[in-house]
Amino acid sequence: MSAPTLTPAATATPVRRSRRFTMKPSTAVVYFIALIVVGFTLGPVIYGVLSGFRTNAQIAENPAGFPSPFVFFNYTGVLTNPSFWRYALNSTGIAVITTALVVICGVMAAYPLARYEFKYREGVFMVFVVGLLFPASVAIIPLFILITQNFHLGNTWIGIALPQAAFALPTTVVILRPFLQALPKELEEAAQLDGASRIGFFWRILLPLSGPGMVTVGVLAFVGSWNAYLLPLLLLGPQNKTLPLGVADFSSEHGSDTAGVFAFTSLAMIPALVFFLAMQKRIVNGLQGAVKG
Amino acid sequence: MATVTFDHATRVYPGTERPAVDQLNLHIEDGEFLVLVGPSGCGKSTSLRMLAGLEDVNGGRILIGDRDVTDVQPKDRDIAMVFQNYALYPHMSVADNMGFALKIAGTPKAEIRQRVEEAAKILDLTEYLDRKPKALSGGQRQRVAMGRAIVRQPQVFLMDEPLSNLDAKLRVQTRTQIASLQRRLGVTTVYVTHDQTEALTMGDRIAVLKGGLLQQVGTPREMYDTPANVFVAGFIGSPAMNLGTFEVKDGAAQVGSAQIPLERNVIAGMTEADGGKLTVGFRPESLDVVPAGTPGSFQVETNLVEELGSDAFLYGSLKGGVVGELSAGDSDQLIVRIDPRNVPMKGEVINVAIKAGQAHVFSAATGNRLS
Repeated sequence: MSAPTLTPAATATPVRRSRRFTMKPSTAVVYFIALIVVGFTLGPVIYGVLSGFRTNAQIAENPAGFPSPFVFFNYTGVLTNPSFWRYALNSTGIAVITTALVVICGVMAAYPLARYEFKYREGVFMVFVVGLLFPASVAIIPLFILITQNFHLGNTWIGIALPQAAFALPTTVVILRPFLQALPKELEEAAQLDGASRIGFFWRILLPLSGPGMVTVGVLAFVGSWNAYLLPLLLLGPQNKTLPLGVADFSSEHGSDTAGVFAFTSLAMIPALVFFLAMQKRIVNGLQGAVKG
Repeated sequence: MATVTFDHATRVYPGTERPAVDQLNLHIEDGEFLVLVGPSGCGKSTSLRMLAGLEDVNGGRILIGDRDVTDVQPKDRDIAMVFQNYALYPHMSVADNMGFALKIAGTPKAEIRQRVEEAAKILDLTEYLDRKPKALSGGQRQRVAMGRAIVRQPQVFLMDEPLSNLDAKLRVQTRTQIASLQRRLGVTTVYVTHDQTEALTMGDRIAVLKGGLLQQVGTPREMYDTPANVFVAGFIGSPAMNLGTFEVKDGAAQVGSAQIPLERNVIAGMTEADGGKLTVGFRPESLDVVPAGTPGSFQVETNLVEELGSDAFLYGSLKGGVVGELSAGDSDQLIVRIDPRNVPMKGEVINVAIKAGQAHVFSAATGNRLS
């Protein structure tokens, strides 16, 4: 910045230049750990995608090898299979309904919890926090009875989207509440003076401003629903299967068609991945949560 | 256009004993520019927010014109407010920000556009109407906030420290603009600030608050020339008034080596509680530099001279007195305005005398004005 800091920097520069390709031990450790983490994360994905290009014989011979030669029939087989597209449609439909339910209900629940002052506000909020700790698998049998016998929604998109949205709601409210609280109080007061009611403020000011927050929770809900296995497994029949169920289905039907499973899984990943990447920039914004006046 | 009346208006925040605003009685004339001023926590913002309807009124009434608005919703009070951080809606363009209230009220689009454009013209914002607040400078945002208030054509403008987010130079400029705009529109305005210079330069009248209590209301001249108590005396004026508490002997206050003669009614106003002492105040410009030995003069040792070009202010201590006994504002020094072309050196001792009739005398016990 000012003169005193200039002098050591000037003397340090030639030293730094002479050992350009070495780094501080601490940095090296950080990079090493990062590489391991990336390896653990990306490794299975790359393995899956590559194995989709191999034949079952190749995989049996050398499970960790590269495809040689590349074969494409696994992927084309999956892509030309009508049940893959039906599963994809089911997955998309259920994920979209879940996301819509989560975002709409989540923001409507988070608004009063963030901006109204009432007696048991923290208590009600705690109910949502406790919801975070509730394992879905515990409720799976009662849920099955509730959905199929009481609501007669078994084996429907909405029947699976409802419980999924319910389980995603705690996370949503916990993320959205501080986000909505961060909006300056003056904004609400200005809207109040301008004649907007509380509902008017919600629609005209708060909703447009909480876009990034809603995208964040929306993406989380979408990806959660896309990957869900247990609930769909119990609630959905063969016609309405989602992609993750389809994988299991695929593998049992074709016995030892491991390469097919790899191809199927790789393809099933793509839509969620594309969705996530498209929204990623806004997620980061959403987590920052700042509104500049 | 309307008057504004606070009638014993009181606000007690839940969980506190002492009212934030205690029995405020204040009448603001139609078209008047009233400035509420005081140190932080004095209740000035709370008073304004009570008038806006953003704070409950726990006692008394608030009237706009002849209408009792104590329990009326903010939107139905026919007021517009400018916030300290402007509170512009970040996702709306300047034009939408300014027209938002009209839009909610269901005004036809063409009329909104026309009124927004008129206001933008007054405020020099025409070319920015389609921008978002994010793309504006601080001064422009401030003008948009003003515009939002003007567009509504309210009966009363409320301004809560609208200049405190601007830099010093822009603040002085905008100060004049707001004051002249208000004179032009002739809308009753209540303006809150902690800056007494703003109060003096902008207000038709000033109300000084401290600890939730109204200290004095008056024109800037009245506030400066006849402060009602020690607090107002020390608060209004820059540099601050010199204030000190002195013994009274033979009908005169003993300031250092000098005797300041006191009027008969001042002496008569003293009570037992004062313990034979009085608080005497005089402004830096009320002192004359005089030759040594002049009767009624006292000696000041120079610590520092602040030159401003047109004026020079000498910061010094009373010779032969205890430091802090006589001081201006928060400093423990005495301030004297001196001829900028004839400045004493540091450490030099000069003789000063209070100009006749320019001393303010307050009760030592209550702080109220006696002279």
